[in-house]
Amino acid sequence: MQHFALEQALNYLIQTGEIDLKPLDNKTIRFSLQDLPLDVNFVCTNDRIFVISDTNRNSDVDISLGASVFFALFKGEDLTDLLRQDKIVIHGDVKTAQLLVDLLQTVDIDLEEVLSQYTGDIVAHKAGKIAKNFKKIAQKSSNPLDAIKDGLSALLITPTVSKLYKKDRH
Amino acid sequence: MNNTTHFGFKDVATEDKQNLVKGVFDSVASKYDLMNDVLSFGAHRLWKRYTIASSNVKIGDKVLDIAGGTGDLAISFRKKVGESGHVILSDINAAMLGEGRKNLINKGVFGVDFVQLNAQYLPFADNSFDCVSIAFGLRNVTDKDQALSEMYRILKPGGCLLILEFSKTDSEFLKKFYDFYSFNVMPTLGEIIADDKESYQYLAESIRKHPDQETLKDMVLNAGFGFCEYHNLSGGIVALHKGIKV
Ligand SMILES: C[S@@+](CC[C@H](N)C(=O)[O-])C[C@H]1O[C@@H](n2cnc3c(N)ncnc32)[C@H](O)[C@@H]1O
Repeated sequence: MQHFALEQALNYLIQTGEIDLKPLDNKTIRFSLQDLPLDVNFVCTNDRIFVISDTNRNSDVDISLGASVFFALFKGEDLTDLLRQDKIVIHGDVKTAQLLVDLLQTVDIDLEEVLSQYTGDIVAHKAGKIAKNFKKIAQKSSNPLDAIKDGLSALLITPTVSKLYKKDRH
Repeated sequence: MNNTTHFGFKDVATEDKQNLVKGVFDSVASKYDLMNDVLSFGAHRLWKRYTIASSNVKIGDKVLDIAGGTGDLAISFRKKVGESGHVILSDINAAMLGEGRKNLINKGVFGVDFVQLNAQYLPFADNSFDCVSIAFGLRNVTDKDQALSEMYRILKPGGCLLILEFSKTDSEFLKKFYDFYSFNVMPTLGEIIADDKESYQYLAESIRKHPDQETLKDMVLNAGFGFCEYHNLSGGIVALHKGIKV
């Protein structure tokens, strides 16, 4: 469910913000938040981002950071400063990381809200948050009902993502 | 390929399966939508909605729906890709495709192309689609590996494959309920509503013969996809496999 919401939110933002993903084409970015159960790969391809839970595959860059640092980035804090303070750990191609951060910073959304789904453990609480988030997206969307229906359908059929995702090809 | 394959719980000559499946869908075509709603308590609409929402399809995309039958997915994709996009609704069965065409006209959906084809031989150029979908269709295909390779071939790099299909649930309770439901209630409802017990018996059996989530995931990866993950829906009664060509 969380991956679904994250993927939806990111691609919605990319589309409505008319953000050019070309510089990140064919890059796989492993993204983990240290204090939240979030460890995913962002696969950037065909002008969109797929959020994949498989983290076995070699990525171009690994970004690991605390949730509060993540939010700070969104509020426009400088990546270089955060790196200098060791608040964010990057392995691999730093240029790709910088591109991702630039891209996320152009996006105007309260991602705290999207990510708050990861922290809530009471289902009803979670559902409320997700619904609220969809409602927010819906207000901006050309077809608000559709976004709300997508959110509700997803809640009703309780999707769960598989644990193993990728055959080891190394 | 082996000389025999399964048709529901029966073993049949491989070359006969396609015709037998055709018989089933010729027979259920006119009542297909009604039966779908009744048998799944309307849940197929939610599963399909989740599939569309997970597709990552956007304006201008080119989408192929395989085994598309009465066109539920094609209708939603049409809305997503907009005027500049292109959606093809395809099925091996002329009767099902005919129902699809009627359905789209009734719903005022235009600009979808119809192609009668076998999933194992896709008459399209390499690297030409952003998304290929198949909902409740793969289990009827005789050579699934060949069909998956074809889907891989016609997808663009970065293209997304969506397979929505009945699958295996881990829950003992759901398993028992589901067995009883599909082998007793489903064929009986098939007889009452569509006057066709055998076709619904086949549908129930074919679900049991379909590969489980992990096996299908391996098949998708073996077809060449760089990533595959599946989402269990309604406790695993249905699973959505998503493959990405890298
Ligand atoms: C259960 S229906 C699903 C229809 C629709 N996708 C839906 O979800 O409502 C299965 C469809 O698969 C089609 N089919 C069976 N074998 C096929 C094949 N080898 N290639 C393409 N379509 C096939 C049948 O004709 C039938 O319309």
